[in-house]
Amino acid sequence: MSDDNWPSPMPRPGDDDDPGAEASVFAVFAPPEADEPPETATLPEADEPSETATLGAEPSGGVLGVRRGSPTASGVGTAILSAGGADHLERPRRRIGPLSWIGAVLLGVWLVAMPLTSSVTELRQNTQIIVMVLAVLGVNVATGYGGMISLGHGVFVAVGAFAAAYAVDDLALPWALSILAGTAFAGVIGALVGLPALRIKGIHLALVTLGLAIVFQPLAKRVPAFSGGVSGRAVGAELVPPSWFGTSRWTEGLYHYLICLVVVGLAMWLTHNIINSRPGRAMRAVRDNDTASAVYGVNLVASRVSTFAVSASLAGLAGALGIVLVPFASQESYPFQESLVLYATAVLGGLGSLWGSVLGVAIREVFSRIGELLGDVSGLGPLGEFLRLLDEEQFVFGVLLVALTFVFPRGLIGMFKRRQDDQAPRADRHGARA
Amino acid sequence: MDVVLLLQRIFDALFNSAIYSSLALALVIIFRSTGLLNFAQGEMATFSAYIAFVLLAGAAPGVTGGGLASWIGAPLVTPLAIGGAVVIGIAAGAATERVLIRPLRNAPELALVNVTIGILLALNSLMGQWWGTGPRVFPPFFPSSPGDHIDIAGARLRFSTVGAWLVLFALLTVLALLLRYTRAGLAFRAVSIDSESAALNGIRVGPTLMYGWALAAGLGAIAANMSANSVLLEPTMMVRVLVYAFAAATLGGLDSPKGALVGGVVIGLSQTLIPAYVPFIGFELSVLPALVAMVVVLIVRPAGLFGTQRIERV
Repeated sequence: MSDDNWPSPMPRPGDDDDPGAEASVFAVFAPPEADEPPETATLPEADEPSETATLGAEPSGGVLGVRRGSPTASGVGTAILSAGGADHLERPRRRIGPLSWIGAVLLGVWLVAMPLTSSVTELRQNTQIIVMVLAVLGVNVATGYGGMISLGHGVFVAVGAFAAAYAVDDLALPWALSILAGTAFAGVIGALVGLPALRIKGIHLALVTLGLAIVFQPLAKRVPAFSGGVSGRAVGAELVPPSWFGTSRWTEGLYHYLICLVVVGLAMWLTHNIINSRPGRAMRAVRDNDTASAVYGVNLVASRVSTFAVSASLAGLAGALGIVLVPFASQESYPFQESLVLYATAVLGGLGSLWGSVLGVAIREVFSRIGELLGDVSGLGPLGEFLRLLDEEQFVFGVLLVALTFVFPRGLIGMFKRRQDDQAPRADRHGARA
Repeated sequence: MDVVLLLQRIFDALFNSAIYSSLALALVIIFRSTGLLNFAQGEMATFSAYIAFVLLAGAAPGVTGGGLASWIGAPLVTPLAIGGAVVIGIAAGAATERVLIRPLRNAPELALVNVTIGILLALNSLMGQWWGTGPRVFPPFFPSSPGDHIDIAGARLRFSTVGAWLVLFALLTVLALLLRYTRAGLAFRAVSIDSESAALNGIRVGPTLMYGWALAAGLGAIAANMSANSVLLEPTMMVRVLVYAFAAATLGGLDSPKGALVGGVVIGLSQTLIPAYVPFIGFELSVLPALVAMVVVLIVRPAGLFGTQRIERV
């Protein structure tokens, strides 16, 4: 699975509520000349022993000749030191705000009540929504934690779906292995895409991944053995629940729902642990300043490539689970706009936050329901025309993406945070003037 | 190898080259002044072509007839409609800069990617909703009946290709004159080199960048209106073109207008010639070589052929 790339994938004790997971490792040492909103540069409150503050006093920061006395340098020192396994240090405990509690309770109630009250079709649709969290999380890992803007994650979802379908049908592998195969294959493709990301950064990487998303459809049509060509491939195998589980269509749906829920939960847990492990800290250090991270001993190749592989395999897992729910995979379902909507969902929820991705998918669902309601209203003339637009997911997400950049620059998850401890990735704007 | 066929393919490719060069130039203008890649450039251009379509065909979606054609004589209709659409496109470009881009001048790069991607998604969907996702017939920008070509060594150089290049050279001349001999052009060059110093010297950076966005939107709108006849007008019309244009701009150097021109020619030629001689690529996959070229250039020589080498501070 996705964690195979990491030297130490095992979770560490006491990691579960580590606010550093969402914190920029350099956040408190933002260079003074950076044009950042002031709150990102605030130091942690003095009464809270903080990892970064404690370590900032380490002398190693000054050894670096990158820019003498630069706060960034000591910030990197901090990051790498903690990446080096300074696990014994005290961390501030996360205080969970009331909104988060409400959100958690709502989510829990929905997860229990939804399957009990839904029809078979609704249950299946809702399970697809849950699976989509993984794809969005994939974007989040690459963009939010790795600092590599990916506008092409729909491609990895598709690749995961095709590979799993190929494994289960053409190779006649069992479902569990097929899903793993889909995940792994997407991870490999992701690693290949991650390779150029060593040289191509920031906005240029966004450009290349957008190109990838655009080139995917015609490319998939060219390999019909794998993708089913123009018309797509139907999946012959079915994931049948064991006989004691019941044989009705509803229990089958429930079985798929439970499997997907468990897999999504496991994948999120793994991702959380990866992010809070040594490679995860290295990942965030590279995001915030790659040159300085390399000076401190982070292997940029390993970090970038494995970040992209993990991120792509999450998306691939979403695709592989998708064919369990709907036994059909086609390039038709993955136009470049789909990749962009995935990206938008990750940004809306909040980059650099695991729960942000869940929130993003929830918001997407809420808007799609509102859109359906409003889209049905007819006979209002131009207003009706406008309301029908709200039924267009792409349009809504495009507008939301623009609006949220202004209103909630850190994504909607920012509303749930009491501390200023998370931060969206900062990439330097490197124009021609530099 | 059939030389006449090769020549014919090159002539055909040159039309696309002109389109890619124009759009690449638009991208370069914005990148040079703001360090921003405008992912929405293609959709903004397509939108302008739809405006021309509406001016020609009548205002309401789904309605044909009416429009300009009903009260202006036939020969003038197309140029007027396209001219109007380009002007509207320019205004929209300036407005976009003022409303959506300028407030984010101190924001991280990611925010600007988000905004341009948001515009791309919203416009693409809006056009599909208003005018349908199917292709629309768009009147030719240049005379393009079967006989409208020049014979050179057995190959046909179509008037539309000649016209596209004439338009491109005219645009380049106008652009050069604007940048060299007007106050706004001088300000624009100053801001492109160093916006902070320019601001200290009393140049108003905001309006100057708006001027750049207007120029870029105009170039894009003209490119879209020129090509809408041959590729048929549809919401995703410029999506591939944008990839070609980005490839062209990257190849030539993202901050070099000369590079955009050369890159556009190279990418246009390769887009026609590679599928013709490499069967696997075929017409549909012709965007793949452009993407590969872009990746290779970014890895091997990020500054492109003519761009300035970037020196990064840590």
